[in-house]
Amino acid sequence: MADPLRAILTFCCLGLLTAPAWAVPLDRTRFAADLCGDGAAQVRGAEGLVQAGGDLPVADLTFAGGLLGALAERRLACPADGALLLDRPGAAEGHDALTGALRPAAEARAPVLGLRQRAAVETARGVVALLTGPDPAARGAGLSVVERRIATVPASVLDRAQDAEADAALKAAIAGLAQAAALSSPDPARRRAAIVAVAASPSGAAEARLTALKSDPAYAADPAFRTALDAGLSRVSRAVAVGDGLAVLYNGLSFASILFMAAAGLAIIFGLMGVINLAQGEFIMLGAYATYGVQEAFRRFAPGLLDLYLVAAIPVAFGAVALVGIVVEALILRHLYRRPLTSLLATWAVSLFLVNLVRVTVGTQNLQFVMPGYVSGGVPLYADFVVTWNRLFAIAFAAATLVLTLLILRRTPLGLDIRAVTQNRDMAACLGLPTRRIDRLAFGLGSGLAGLAGVALCPIYSVNPGMGSGFIVDSFMVVVLGGVGSLIGTLVAALGVGGANVLIEPISGAVAAKVIVLVGIILFLQRRPEGLFAVRRRR
Amino acid sequence: MTHLTRRSFVGSAALLAAPALIRPAFAADTVKLGCLFSSSGTMANLEGRLNHVVRMAADAINGRGGVNGRQIEVVTSDPASDWPLYAQIGRQMLQQEKVAALFGCWTSVSRKSVLPVVEQNDGLLFYPLHFEGDENSKNVVYVNSPPASSVLPAVDYLMGPDGVGAKRFFMIGSDYVWPRTINKQLKGYWTGKGIPETAWREEYVPFGFSNFQTLVNQVRSFASQPGGQPIVVLTVVGSSIPDFLREFANQGISATDVPILGLDMVEADLEGLDTGKLVGHLNCWAYLQAAKGERNQKFLADWAAYVKAKNVPFSADTVIDPMVSAYDSVNLWALAAAKAGSFAVPEVRKAFAGLSFDDPSGYTLTMTGENNYVSRGVFIGSVNEKRGFDVLWQSPNAPKPVPFSPYG
Repeated sequence: MADPLRAILTFCCLGLLTAPAWAVPLDRTRFAADLCGDGAAQVRGAEGLVQAGGDLPVADLTFAGGLLGALAERRLACPADGALLLDRPGAAEGHDALTGALRPAAEARAPVLGLRQRAAVETARGVVALLTGPDPAARGAGLSVVERRIATVPASVLDRAQDAEADAALKAAIAGLAQAAALSSPDPARRRAAIVAVAASPSGAAEARLTALKSDPAYAADPAFRTALDAGLSRVSRAVAVGDGLAVLYNGLSFASILFMAAAGLAIIFGLMGVINLAQGEFIMLGAYATYGVQEAFRRFAPGLLDLYLVAAIPVAFGAVALVGIVVEALILRHLYRRPLTSLLATWAVSLFLVNLVRVTVGTQNLQFVMPGYVSGGVPLYADFVVTWNRLFAIAFAAATLVLTLLILRRTPLGLDIRAVTQNRDMAACLGLPTRRIDRLAFGLGSGLAGLAGVALCPIYSVNPGMGSGFIVDSFMVVVLGGVGSLIGTLVAALGVGGANVLIEPISGAVAAKVIVLVGIILFLQRRPEGLFAVRRRR
Repeated sequence: MTHLTRRSFVGSAALLAAPALIRPAFAADTVKLGCLFSSSGTMANLEGRLNHVVRMAADAINGRGGVNGRQIEVVTSDPASDWPLYAQIGRQMLQQEKVAALFGCWTSVSRKSVLPVVEQNDGLLFYPLHFEGDENSKNVVYVNSPPASSVLPAVDYLMGPDGVGAKRFFMIGSDYVWPRTINKQLKGYWTGKGIPETAWREEYVPFGFSNFQTLVNQVRSFASQPGGQPIVVLTVVGSSIPDFLREFANQGISATDVPILGLDMVEADLEGLDTGKLVGHLNCWAYLQAAKGERNQKFLADWAAYVKAKNVPFSADTVIDPMVSAYDSVNLWALAAAKAGSFAVPEVRKAFAGLSFDDPSGYTLTMTGENNYVSRGVFIGSVNEKRGFDVLWQSPNAPKPVPFSPYG
């Protein structure tokens, strides 16, 4: 009696053992039902696909990918039986996932992914993209998803991807990942290779993975393993430290560029005319709204060039805000030149007026900007250091503004006039310079610079009528610290304040950082009231 | 973009010029309700909507014949996101305008500043925001939920098997009473669950802070340390929310790596963001726009129609929890006043016991005689691509509110 049973059992086991070698097709009905089931079923379906992914036929992977994509994008509807793929979320009818027949989706449930389900679905989509992506870019995107969740992806998926990959660079990347995944392999040589592979792409996560290995029994027992781990760990730690240093530098530079953009116009206006322009923040806001206007114009008249609207907005924002500045100067400030306190109040009134004007005409909501590829997202550059494009845009923008403004001030007749009036207004007037006209042009230039700041800030901050009020204190701080009327002083002060903020913030928190920087500035100004770079004035 | 009529322009110009802070409307045989919501400053984009909702609710009640035979007249103001000004205007409303009830405040700091005023004058303040609890004044009606019936269920969800099994927590808040109290209670809650102190970090930023680079770097390095799934508990307010989310997405962190639980995050905060990279982040409120049911559909349609008819400068198709809560507030007050047959605060307060109201969220709001708290349902929402929230989870019923937290 026992022998036939054993024979059957042996046969079954053999069958089970050899099964993965054949391409077992996906049970499509069951997979669709899983994705339409409760949270646990969705995870089961997605994880099952990841586990089996290395052996499934391409047609099944494509099928599963379509379903998973629909689920993630809320285009999957679940009637009582089967699953429907909709063209867009909430559509009235969709194609049956299994038969392709058109069916009404009115009564169907559209499942919402919980976070755990979303992670599982994301991984499964990554596996499908890695294995069936039409081009190296799609497969590379799949690889980066798989890389983030390498612990849940079986080696068979990576092996298959590596075998099938035609693109040499991507093939090497997959091989590297497969090597790094073998960190807990029983083979010591493979483990050491894995340590080297992990150390080759250093990050905080890699450091944590390697540090965890220190408690592994092999660390104490196997000297070769210990040497490899120590070497790998020190390499990663060094890289992470360098990456963090770069991040601090970048953050400081980015904050400084924002401060500089906001303060540059103020430096000219304050330095030249002694007018404390409290509407400077609102000029920045107007620049951002002008950018929005340009975007809408592009959307209407040249949708194909929409991505370029930020560039096109540069002259528009400068011109529009410079015009507003000139009008404000002509209507209000020109009457108040000998009364600094009154002009301060008048510019404050202008700022309130502008804020409320925008609120009434456009509304208080944050404006919706299309973010072209060159200002959204970022790229990991080294270890944990990520360069975010919007900040890089602002830094480049600030640098260009600095160079252009310096050129205007140093190399043009207007710049010469501005500098002359700044140094000695009465003497300049005696020599026949039209000081009033120069005031007006300089005020326009300063306002235009604020408009440019508005363009640079669009990809970083929320644009709403109240956005300007946050800048005025910071920009005055920078202008006064830098020395009134000195553009270089403004630059150095912005770098100093930005850097100090970024350095202090991780140690004592953002609130204390602000306090410490302000106290530092007060102490500095007590020692040196004229600021860092004083413009020599002849009296 | 709203249409600029000459009249609205002149009106706003007059508003700018006039020293008076309150804009009353005069009529006889009316009962006045006062609004304390800012239409300028950092809170304008959020609070500004609530003035219009209160008017809409009052209009609907007036259409049904008013309360106790009198029409409701809504008096609005602009405290300009300036916390002490809320108290000043609140006092003016109670003493000079003789309003029957106040509806107002968003941040807890503004409520705390109005609190002594309503207590001295024995007024009634309906407060439509979920908040930190630990307060129980007979002069404030807490229309939204304390932490025990909003934050804790959401954190529980994230820590449980349906969520992400969160083990470590990065708390980022604006530096004032609401985030600090919420975080104190959360720490007490986690300590009670045996979670060690090394599992969390706490950072605060000033109001209106927007330079989140360094903090997001810190979140990334916190996330890469071992010890289990990290989440961010976000209690920053106002314009800091979109600025934080933008930096978070730009640095390449997705909700499946480190989910954010944004306690003050509403649909309006997602305006102007590309939410494709933010899908999956969570919030928790007593109402979400995606709530199912006829009553919600009706409310959404009413609001859209109101925005169109009155030329309201806010989105017709965005409805957020505090708007519904403000709407509930007016209705609860009207029900209580009708039940009491009087507008006197002590009478109205007595009538709260046993009050119930079917609100747009689909739950039935109830009040007991024990305190001025209102039982609300709990929703957990998940950010979607369309700058809205999908309902991820909702409580089977409206839990009884617990005013004082046992967790610190």
